[in-house]
Amino acid sequence: MAATACFIIVSRNDIPIYEAEVGSATKREDAAQLHQFILHAALDIVQDLAWTTSAMFLKAIDRFNDLVVSVYVTAGHILYICELSSISGDSVDDYGGRGAGGLMIVNSGSCMILLNPLYLPGSRIASSHFDTKVRALARKYL
Amino acid sequence: MANYLAQFQSIKSACDHIVISVEDVSDLWPTVKSAFEKRLPFKTASLNNKTRNPVLVEKLPAEFILTTDARLRSRFPQEQLLFWFREPYASIVLVTCEILAGDVLDDLDEFKSILKPRLKLIVQNDEREWFIVFVSKAHPNNDQATKMAKKVYAKLEVDFSSKKRERCCKLDIHGPEPNFWEDLESKIIESIRNTLDRRVQFYEDEIRKLSEQRFMPIWNFCNFFILKESLAFMFEMAHLHEDALREYDELELCYLETVKNMTGKQREFGGVEHGDEEAALLNFGNKALTQIVQDDSFREFEFRQYLFACQSKLLFKLNRPFEVAARGYTFIISFSKSLTEHENILPFCMREVWIITACLALINETSSNYNEGLAASDIEKEFYRLLGDLYSLCRVKFMRLAYIIGYGSDMERSPVNSASLSMLPWPKPSVWPSVPPDASSELILQATPRVKHFGIQRKPLPLEPSVLLREANRRRASLSAGNLFEMFDGRSAIDGSGSDATLRMPSLNKVQTIAMSRTNSSPGFDGSIDRPMRLAEIFVASEHALRQTISNPNLWKSLSSVEEFEQKYLELTKGAADNYHRSWWKRHGVVLDGEIAAVFFKHGNFDLAANSYEKVCALYSGEGWQDLLAEVLPNLAECQKILNDLAGYLSSCVRLLSLEKGLFSIKERQAFQSEVVSIAHSEMKHPVPLDVSSLITFSGNPGPPLVLCDGDPGILSVTVWSGFPDDITLDSLSLTLTATYNADEGAKALKSSTATVLKPGRNTITVDLPPQKPGSYVLGVLTGQIGHLRFRSHSFSKVGPADSDDFMSYEKPTRPILKVFNPRPLVDLAAATSSPLLINEAQWIGIIVRPIDYSLKGAILHIDTGPGLKIEESHVIEMESYIDVSQCAADIASSNSAQQNGCSLADNKDFERLSLDDGRIQLPDWASNVTSILWIPVCAINNNLARGSSTVNPQRQSIVDGMRTIALKLEFGVSHNQIFDRHSLFPSLFQSFRYHFRTIAVHFGDPFHVSTRVADKCNGDTLLLQVILHSEVKATLTIFDAWLDLQDGFVHTGKSDGRPISGFFPLVISPTSRAGILFSICLGDTTAEVEDAAVQPDSILNIRYGICGDRTAGAHPPVNSESNGSEGSRQDLIFRSALVLQRPVLDPSLAVGFLPFPSDGLRVGQHVNMKWRVERLKEFDQNKDSQCNNEVLYEVNANSDNWMIAGRKRGHVSLPTDQGSRIVISVLCVPLVAGYVRPPQLGLPDIDQANISCNPPGPHLICVLPPAQSSSFCIPA
Repeated sequence: MAATACFIIVSRNDIPIYEAEVGSATKREDAAQLHQFILHAALDIVQDLAWTTSAMFLKAIDRFNDLVVSVYVTAGHILYICELSSISGDSVDDYGGRGAGGLMIVNSGSCMILLNPLYLPGSRIASSHFDTKVRALARKYL
Repeated sequence: MANYLAQFQSIKSACDHIVISVEDVSDLWPTVKSAFEKRLPFKTASLNNKTRNPVLVEKLPAEFILTTDARLRSRFPQEQLLFWFREPYASIVLVTCEILAGDVLDDLDEFKSILKPRLKLIVQNDEREWFIVFVSKAHPNNDQATKMAKKVYAKLEVDFSSKKRERCCKLDIHGPEPNFWEDLESKIIESIRNTLDRRVQFYEDEIRKLSEQRFMPIWNFCNFFILKESLAFMFEMAHLHEDALREYDELELCYLETVKNMTGKQREFGGVEHGDEEAALLNFGNKALTQIVQDDSFREFEFRQYLFACQSKLLFKLNRPFEVAARGYTFIISFSKSLTEHENILPFCMREVWIITACLALINETSSNYNEGLAASDIEKEFYRLLGDLYSLCRVKFMRLAYIIGYGSDMERSPVNSASLSMLPWPKPSVWPSVPPDASSELILQATPRVKHFGIQRKPLPLEPSVLLREANRRRASLSAGNLFEMFDGRSAIDGSGSDATLRMPSLNKVQTIAMSRTNSSPGFDGSIDRPMRLAEIFVASEHALRQTISNPNLWKSLSSVEEFEQKYLELTKGAADNYHRSWWKRHGVVLDGEIAAVFFKHGNFDLAANSYEKVCALYSGEGWQDLLAEVLPNLAECQKILNDLAGYLSSCVRLLSLEKGLFSIKERQAFQSEVVSIAHSEMKHPVPLDVSSLITFSGNPGPPLVLCDGDPGILSVTVWSGFPDDITLDSLSLTLTATYNADEGAKALKSSTATVLKPGRNTITVDLPPQKPGSYVLGVLTGQIGHLRFRSHSFSKVGPADSDDFMSYEKPTRPILKVFNPRPLVDLAAATSSPLLINEAQWIGIIVRPIDYSLKGAILHIDTGPGLKIEESHVIEMESYIDVSQCAADIASSNSAQQNGCSLADNKDFERLSLDDGRIQLPDWASNVTSILWIPVCAINNNLARGSSTVNPQRQSIVDGMRTIALKLEFGVSHNQIFDRHSLFPSLFQSFRYHFRTIAVHFGDPFHVSTRVADKCNGDTLLLQVILHSEVKATLTIFDAWLDLQDGFVHTGKSDGRPISGFFPLVISPTSRAGILFSICLGDTTAEVEDAAVQPDSILNIRYGICGDRTAGAHPPVNSESNGSEGSRQDLIFRSALVLQRPVLDPSLAVGFLPFPSDGLRVGQHVNMKWRVERLKEFDQNKDSQCNNEVLYEVNANSDNWMIAGRKRGHVSLPTDQGSRIVISVLCVPLVAGYVRPPQLGLPDIDQANISCNPPGPHLICVLPPAQSSSFCIPA
């Protein structure tokens, strides 16, 4: 069980369109900005790595001290970036399989949002339903 | 074997190239040495690598050493085997036959007897790769000697060369021997190759043997190491660096596998000596191997660095500095883990110092060995990325050291620093250093956290993973950690998260009090040594400890003062940023740019700081990472403010305001706004344009767009969202409208000059809309002014950047806000009736005013009558609503009586009486949207008397005569707003009107048309004159009386008054029907009253009549009668018409008769003789015409299309004046067309028509037959 995780969806133009902080750890006050900083920096790595592999789930592409960043890159180059801290119990490998599964389900959910004709691509996902779903998935898979 | 280590190392350092031994049998070496050594190093050599694949080696160095040389002689056999790599790789035997030159026979014998056995002895050592170089000293001119040399050499070849291998070559000192050197070189290389193969084989066998035992207790790593490194070294000597590198890699693996991970044996780690903290990962000669040997192995700390140094040396030789960087980074990371494991035995902060020095060394070494453009671009990118990583790793560790010694307050608490440091654990020495007795801890500096611009009070981001104070004190040997832990928990609760915001405590007293309270609660701590250290003491203690640790003066210097620290910090940050930028990791690079900017900012270098901050902000805002942007943007704004860059500052304020609301408190947001407003209202040299697209957005109101007719002004309502936290006053506001389908038409600005106050959130503003061209319009740009500030907003979606292609392509189509229709008729003015009205009577003209989906509110109708028409000013104008033509017709049919009294208004009809005011009528409001009819009393004036026509002379009066026109001008408009008058320079209050011009033709006419005919010529002079009255109007006419005032020459029969019998009156004439009246008149005396005839040339028919009609249909009773309103009163009208009566002609003086044609008829083309007979009926009056008494002028008139006339058409014929005299005029004619045509006619122009009696009396037709068929043209002659 990961103590804390930050999940973020980044659109094709590197714009974060959804952010969620999930996990059991108490939130640090600077966490939002810290997570944003780490995830933003991870984009540099994704941009290099995404084109070198055919895999969609890029496991542990970046580590920042004890934070591990994994990315699920869709074909449309929307990134689902998940940042986990202190993966205790399982190894990162173990997490990889489950994480990929979880992110795929999130992907199916967000596809529905993106296909919504009233959704303006690039804008924030504000659906509370989606948010609940993501959090439920996080509990299940992380 | 480990004893050989020292020797091994010295051998290695002494010999770094391949040795070739020279067996100088005949003392030739001094003569050939220089020539031999000139060939070194070998340009190319084909050697086999470890897998026995040929590898081309370039510039292979080697050395020729005589076998007599001490280096080769004094070796023990065992050493030889162990250090076989230094043994010669080839043996050259130099021989000659010079001594035998004198005697040929002896020479050969000598060779056989002396030289050959000796050579055999030398080469019998089969271990060596040997070959013989025969040096011929024979001069080319000395044929005998040359011959002899050849013979000896041939003999030599026979004896020593085999089929498999040539072992001889011949050097002619005096003669040209071009092939010799190639031959020699190839032989040497061949020997080297063979030796190398053999030795590699040997080493491999040995290594295999050893490595099989590697998990056994007797395993000795040193032995393995010597063998392995020997092999590697041999490869290196042979320039097979790739293989050498592989050996070292295997060696490292084996070390990690066997030594490091072997549990049970407690081994020394190393790294405790002074100077060890200086990383030696690129310096393999740092420590002798003998120094680091421990039992049967090596100390990890030194040995792993040694291995890495060897590997990197080879990699540099292979020209792969990027691989050094890549391996180095991984090495540093993994090695730092090892250091962490042994941190408790290592000096204080040894790990951090080691990483710093290692990174710096690696960076220096790799970048000095790296030439740009050497590698492929992706490798280059990767290389720079690695350098960036190294720099930032170094930077983080450096910051950590600096923090520990108290420079934390000088560090920017930025996200990157916080993220790097707050998750980096503190150093964990076994015992935290304590304050040395001689140190003074008075270096207390007041460090107040910098207050951010706009009064943003943010909890400073942490730079530490946990409270240093607690960590340091916990790791002190003399303190019980548990107690302290609890106490510090209490303290940290007071301090919030316990962050060392004021790193150096503001005052000693405060710390003292804390210490005091601690002492009170726990009496065990009252000793000065055991007392928990204060933060300042921790810094001092750490500084002292670090000074012990750090041996590198440069590094220490960098930590010696804040300035030095900042310089180094800047250098590292710049290095990282530059390299990240080069590797296209813009995010990493730009973030570090922000750190550089922070330092610049601190030093007042605002220009540079602003530049860097702008880059950071551009990246974050471009990608929409608002949390991060919120950290940096206030800094940028502050820089811009200091630099007096108003435009930039304002735009930064706007960007701050447009960030997500949660990122700043309402107070801060209000501060941003007040900054904007105060700047806007302050004195600005130049008005600053400002883009507020993200802050003030606007759109049209939901629902259908405003629809206007062409040319109409309107009021546009626009929704404006304000992102300001407070109300904001916009001094002026203007909106542009852009036509959607007409791009070249410039956008038009709508201005609202009055101040508008925008509330936070949604506002609705209205703008006056001047008349626009037809088309549909979308909102363009919102511009306005706040004080001196000109702002504009493009109203893009707030959620993202405006310029990203995603938004452009997915942009919702802009909804038109205004539609202006093409010009169309808005109102129609038409005459109500088309049938004629009574002329010279007051009549109602109906004008139908029909608005076409357009309001005529306040419309004014200007009426201008044309000539011959005047409005009865005395009378009011009536207006009523107009239902429908068909309904109206039904009304007429159904209620005849209602029409009678002129009140044909239905119940639902509006009715109003209006008055004409200077030719203008103000239309009532109820008529603004319904079709209405306006009744105007007019009178058409015609002074001419109506003229009757006769059957003989049918003359109808032209319709045009009764036509009158009314010019109408309707002035209307949908709104009467203040508009800009185009023709004047200044805006003025001007009522905009639309004008509708219309000229209506109204037909006026007499009620009757009168025609006459003579019904019967009675006996004598009496005639019956029939007067036929045609009703000309759509109204029922009732004739009450009619009388005829006759002209001269006519009198009523029986001297009556000329009235018909009155019993027939009143005579009712329905519309368009006719009635006839007979008058009996007789010819009177014409000569009686000559004067009166001039007065009355025509007879006048007088008719007294009444009219009954509806004004909606046409003619109707004159207005006055209606206005009287008296029931039953009848208004008699008089109609007068002039009739022309001609006296009948009763006694013609000449008769013209047309004589019949011949009986066979007329044919086309056949000439015919036309004959007329002229007969004088009475005797010509000589008095009247004396000139042509017996001559008659005749003229034949014929249509030239039909007739061709031969002969005279006109002429005089003589006709006697006697009564009864006659003459025949004949003319030859040829008819030209077939059919019924008029024949030529004979006229007598001199004689009045009345005096001629014609037979036939009128025009007649004759039949002309088609021409007879003629075949004469067809038959050839």
